[in-house]
Amino acid sequence: MRRGRVGAWLVLFIVFVYYLVPMISMARFAFQRILVFRLSFGNLFDKWTIDSLIEFLKEPEFRSSASLSIQLAVATAALTLALLVPTMAVAHLRSKRMRRIIELSSTLPFVVPAIALVVGFAGAFRETLPILIRSPFGLVPLYVITALPFTHRAIENGLAALDLRTLVDASQSLGATWYRTVMFVIVPNIRASIATAAFLAFTVVMGEFTIASLLLKNTLPLYLSYAQGQNPQGAFGVGLVLILFTTIFVASSNRLGKVVRT
Amino acid sequence: MTGKVEFSKVSKSFGTVKALVDFDLSIEEGELVTLLGPSGCGKSTALRVAAGFEPPDSGDVSIGGVSILAQSANKRGIGMVFQNYSLFPHLTVTQNLEFGMRVRNIAREKRTARVGELLELVRLSGLSDRYPHQISGGQQQRVALARALAVEPRVLLLDEPLSALDATVRIEVREEIRRIQRASGIATIFVTHDQEEALAISDRICVMSNGKIEQVGAPDVVYRSPSTEFVARFVGKVNDIEVEVLSSTKARLRGHKHEIEIASAGTGGGAAGGGAVVGGVARLLIRPEDVQIVRTDSARANARCTVKTIHFGGATTTADVEIDGTTHLVRIADSTRNMQFRVGDAVHIAFDTERALLTRGGAA
Repeated sequence: MRRGRVGAWLVLFIVFVYYLVPMISMARFAFQRILVFRLSFGNLFDKWTIDSLIEFLKEPEFRSSASLSIQLAVATAALTLALLVPTMAVAHLRSKRMRRIIELSSTLPFVVPAIALVVGFAGAFRETLPILIRSPFGLVPLYVITALPFTHRAIENGLAALDLRTLVDASQSLGATWYRTVMFVIVPNIRASIATAAFLAFTVVMGEFTIASLLLKNTLPLYLSYAQGQNPQGAFGVGLVLILFTTIFVASSNRLGKVVRT
Repeated sequence: MTGKVEFSKVSKSFGTVKALVDFDLSIEEGELVTLLGPSGCGKSTALRVAAGFEPPDSGDVSIGGVSILAQSANKRGIGMVFQNYSLFPHLTVTQNLEFGMRVRNIAREKRTARVGELLELVRLSGLSDRYPHQISGGQQQRVALARALAVEPRVLLLDEPLSALDATVRIEVREEIRRIQRASGIATIFVTHDQEEALAISDRICVMSNGKIEQVGAPDVVYRSPSTEFVARFVGKVNDIEVEVLSSTKARLRGHKHEIEIASAGTGGGAAGGGAVVGGVARLLIRPEDVQIVRTDSARANARCTVKTIHFGGATTTADVEIDGTTHLVRIADSTRNMQFRVGDAVHIAFDTERALLTRGGAA
């Protein structure tokens, strides 16, 4: 028992070190005004400043790329929920086969590389619907697919935990339409899953590089990659801030889930 | 406005399984009819067809003489209480009760007044701000009943609403349902597989098997005069005794000398179709309370028996007795006052066959 506990703490410590050491290194590079080859334990607390970060944040290109990424992330989360929630609710109610097909489809982004997705997407829509290629918002459907393995699982868990059939029948017997049933019965009862799915979609978009790069859209990850050559400290600083935000996002979605369940 | 509910030749299949076959039933205004049968007999399917959750393959369902099949579930004006707790978990008791009224855009003052009335009706006035997980299963089902009544439905459908409750609460809620149903005067269909529940709550019982109606009648009629072997076996306990048919009025316990009067026995599905034939073997299905302990010298005595087991049940006692010289076990039930004997005692029994059923063939 005691040995197992020590082992658990050891694993936790290794994970902690594995996660924290690169973070600390990144923070030191971004926020300490000391040449990289002079960084050591001796000057761990010296010359900390966020000047390079502030300078970076002032860049108009940063603002436009961050703004675009946030808009894309919000649009992706919204489209994901608008498509997934009713579709998966219907699948849960009416067809186990449909549920399996959706589940299988949701794992495709794991096996289909982003480059294949972009080539297919561009080939299909370049002539038929060129606005999808031209507009940065053409990325949204691709991002919805990319985030599907995570968002699907979150919604699936929420729906599986409900006695959906009874709740829907009860709602309809009380006179509610399908729209009202979805909005006022299903959605409030899977709000924790919806929040988790939305957060996950958001974070996937905020970190996605390949698709945006191949379709030449100047999203935040692309700008960060470009800016590493201009202001590497600022770029790493923003990267660190993004990682922290993402961690807080995921943690708060888990917390929200717990609050809703109790 | 409520109305008479009528199922006319309703059939429904799921793949190759026939859930309902030419189902014909009418429920009068203010009446409570129970659909009783084993799992898979089609009783819940009948309810779901009426509620609009399943379309029938053929036939019609009407309320007040008007077919409702063309209406979607949310337009039928039918209140339903489900087997599983169906309260919306994210809403309080009051909000659950208001749900249907909000859908109908009923003014806030009216909603508040109606919620007050309903909470009083189900005796839960103090729990209006609780969430479903903060009240007991019995209270949840009472709220579900009140919620179904909140929209003033034309018909009330109760799909095994007591099956998730423990025995004591079940009886309490059952009586509540009956009281509230009588007070509201709404035509009600109650689905259960529990025959005791059906006998206690119903104006009429519709016994079902394999998607078909076996018998429809008042609880005492269904219990006392089962029209088929299935009803006799499913509703209450029954002794299944092999007899040799000697004439149209007499039979003899198989392998035994004592004769039984069978002139008044029902014939059920078997004998009605030429079932028990003179000279053949038949089965006498008789309730334990229709087998009586009689004095040894009684002219009515049909057989001498030995008491094998006694089951004390408070006001009533049941006993299994073995007919001497055979391995026939017969269960008898009577008031505890009349059952004053011990295991191993010799007793004489008489069969009161007026409410028994005589069917063709040897024991199953």
